[in-house]
Amino acid sequence: MAKKKEDMYIPRRIHVSAAYRTFTVFNTILMIVISAVTLYPFLYLVAQSFSSERAIVAGEVGIIPVDFNVTTYVSIFKKGEFFHFYGNTIIYSVVGTFLSLLMSSMLAYPLSKKELRLNKFIGPFVIFTMYFGGGMIPNFVLMTKLGLRDTVASFILPGLIGTYYVILMKSFFQSIPRELEEAGQIDGLTQIGVFFRIVLPLSKAIIATMTLFYMVGYWNNWFNAFLYLDTREKWPVAYHLKQIISGTQTSNDPGATADAAQISANIKSCSMVLTAAPLICIYPFIQKYFVQGMMLGGVKE
Amino acid sequence: MKKRLLSMAMASAMVASMAVGAIGVQAEEAEGYTYGLNETFYSEEPVTYSIMFSDASWYPMTETWKTEGIFAKIQELTNVTLDITSIDSGDYDSKKALMINAGEASYIIPKTYDESAFVEGGAVVAVSDWVQYMPNYTNFVETYSMQPELKTLEKADGKYYRLPGMLEAPLQDYTFLLRKDYFEGAGYDVAALEQDWTWDEFADILADVKAYMVEQGIVTEEDYIWSDLWAGSEVDGSGGNLLKLVGAAYGVPSGWAVGNGVEYDAETDQFYFASTSEDYKAYVTLMSGLVKDGILDPETFTQDNQTACNKFYRGETALLSVNRSQYTSWLANMDEQLGEGNYETYLCVIPKSDKHNYMPENIRLENGVMIAQKALDELGEEEFIKMLRFVDWLFYSDEAYDLVKWGVEGETYQVNEDGTKSLLDGYKCGGLGIAGEEEDIDIRLQWGYAGGNYYYGGTVAQMSDNFIPEIMDFVNRMNEYRDVKPLNPAYTANEDENEQLNLWKTPLIDNVNTWTLQFITGVMDVEADWDAYVASCEGLNSTSMVDMINDIYARTKGE
Repeated sequence: MAKKKEDMYIPRRIHVSAAYRTFTVFNTILMIVISAVTLYPFLYLVAQSFSSERAIVAGEVGIIPVDFNVTTYVSIFKKGEFFHFYGNTIIYSVVGTFLSLLMSSMLAYPLSKKELRLNKFIGPFVIFTMYFGGGMIPNFVLMTKLGLRDTVASFILPGLIGTYYVILMKSFFQSIPRELEEAGQIDGLTQIGVFFRIVLPLSKAIIATMTLFYMVGYWNNWFNAFLYLDTREKWPVAYHLKQIISGTQTSNDPGATADAAQISANIKSCSMVLTAAPLICIYPFIQKYFVQGMMLGGVKE
Repeated sequence: MKKRLLSMAMASAMVASMAVGAIGVQAEEAEGYTYGLNETFYSEEPVTYSIMFSDASWYPMTETWKTEGIFAKIQELTNVTLDITSIDSGDYDSKKALMINAGEASYIIPKTYDESAFVEGGAVVAVSDWVQYMPNYTNFVETYSMQPELKTLEKADGKYYRLPGMLEAPLQDYTFLLRKDYFEGAGYDVAALEQDWTWDEFADILADVKAYMVEQGIVTEEDYIWSDLWAGSEVDGSGGNLLKLVGAAYGVPSGWAVGNGVEYDAETDQFYFASTSEDYKAYVTLMSGLVKDGILDPETFTQDNQTACNKFYRGETALLSVNRSQYTSWLANMDEQLGEGNYETYLCVIPKSDKHNYMPENIRLENGVMIAQKALDELGEEEFIKMLRFVDWLFYSDEAYDLVKWGVEGETYQVNEDGTKSLLDGYKCGGLGIAGEEEDIDIRLQWGYAGGNYYYGGTVAQMSDNFIPEIMDFVNRMNEYRDVKPLNPAYTANEDENEQLNLWKTPLIDNVNTWTLQFITGVMDVEADWDAYVASCEGLNSTSMVDMINDIYARTKGE
């Protein structure tokens, strides 16, 4: 969300030309405009989620809530269903991210070692998956035949290893000085020991970045749920959200509660805010690693 | 060889069933189960059939549906357990296609609007070969002469692959909700006028209504008093519902109903391209006049539905399209915005034209049920027929209709002395449009009755047994004042012809839709640019398409 904000700090000691200064000013303005454009829809959403139905229908809501109320939030909290899906998402995201990190790094590490001859053979297979996939129906058949349909595994497994992320990690691992690993081996560590005790601790930046990528990926993934999760109770919140967004128009039953009009007016915005909120909260804490990790992964090859 | 065997088996089965038919339909008994017209299907041995289920998020399926609700009752009556694959309604079509293509289809596949994609692959059974085993189905077909309609479902091999929902008569669902108080203010009694009003007269009335609204300070001279929904950004660029309704009065397909733009002329027994006919010209002339005179908002064709609704809720427009399911919601929103009692509305009979007195709806088929080929392969013919008889009961018997729509008589609903049905005290149902107190139990949410999976059509009495008086009144007036347009005869193209027709149709109809909206919104002038429009359609093979359709029609007519 806020990733457009570049580091604008210019050290005073260095002479700054007029042209550069102008550039900085315009750049800053441009970035502020882009940030505002990105931020506005979200603020609007937040404002709408706290506004009254009358104000929403009358089109009075901007970025500040009108007739502040939390009826819809209360109804979501009361119904409890939303948080059930939320819980699913948290489990899937945490378990999935952990496994993804483990698997991706364990694949990337050997790939980063040039002296392993088999890499010449295995490497292309990894790259191959970036260009070709089995396709939806074969994947579906595969999951079914493996007996994994409607299990948590079917949600996590298909995206367990992201090829692009593996390549980023591989580049990062290549940048770690060889000598450190050798020192570890001299002190009696096995290959696995070197990986877990030396390489991974040195790779916090890339791991933080990957955590964010994978986490966001799992958090927002509804498509696997659509494909493989038949039981409603197992759905992640993203799929539930998709459902709400596509289904509200018809949800205003006359038999529903007195708050129905209010709820149908901003159930979408409330759900979106609730779904996005945790990620937005986590983001600032990972951001510094994120920039670092991306750059480190990017330069070396 | 296999095919020949099958057809021989079927031929003999047909003969057998005719013999049975001659004896008379009522309770019939086959090996291990009872079935028949107006007879409950009951299997002596418990059986399980897999079935897909379109699960709507606004009344999601719960465990109680199975333990004490609709599925438990079905099981109780028939000894059939339904093995349900539940799919979210928003993804039903795509996931259904995925599962069928992956060979994972359930035996019974309800709520299917278009079966074409599955026909060539052989994944679904040609049900027309088997309907003779379904007494309730065949009874409905014969009682209400559904054959011409069924003919439209046939594929090139002369068979059809979907058991459709069937309606005794078409019911007009969409119409206009008028602000009766504005119309009265302008001096018009809509109830007295609607029987014979034409679109031209209606346009004049609207001009006066606008004059009244301007005079009252409700709108200014620059404002439009009609800004409609289901015609803008959320539909396919065809002008949606509005153009369908108006076009129908002129006997031309338009909007949602545009199809391939072709109409049938009974006099010449030929099809013709209606989108460039004189009727079409009269229709776009009327529509462009409405826009030009400041009545119909051209934004109707670009805005989203909510925007249109909001203008009406705020009292800024004098009419809005509506359908049965949204009617009460429109009113609730107006109560909210304008206050109860501060406005009056009226569901009007849709205007006609000088030439035609048609109501827009003339289709008597609804979405329906496909049967997976897998069922026939796995069950074997005898068991397959048994399953079909269960399907016959569930989707086509009166008993099942009442069960899946209303629940259990005496438990959830009662039949009143005048034959109408009503829910018992303590129950309500959003799906049937029956409101209740907060603490009342919604029979749809609680037990799954009145859902969208199991009843699609039926007799007029069945379909309207839950209508609120205002809707019932509208339906009655509509049926009384307007005629049902005769169905166009079917022409069954083969695969190659279909492909060619589609290749022509897509750009041609895009062109028709674009020009139509340009005529209406005033970008193009109907008088000045009409010939250019006709030429553009001809340039896109409108004539070749009609010729081919007429050839196919001539060829398949006798069959």
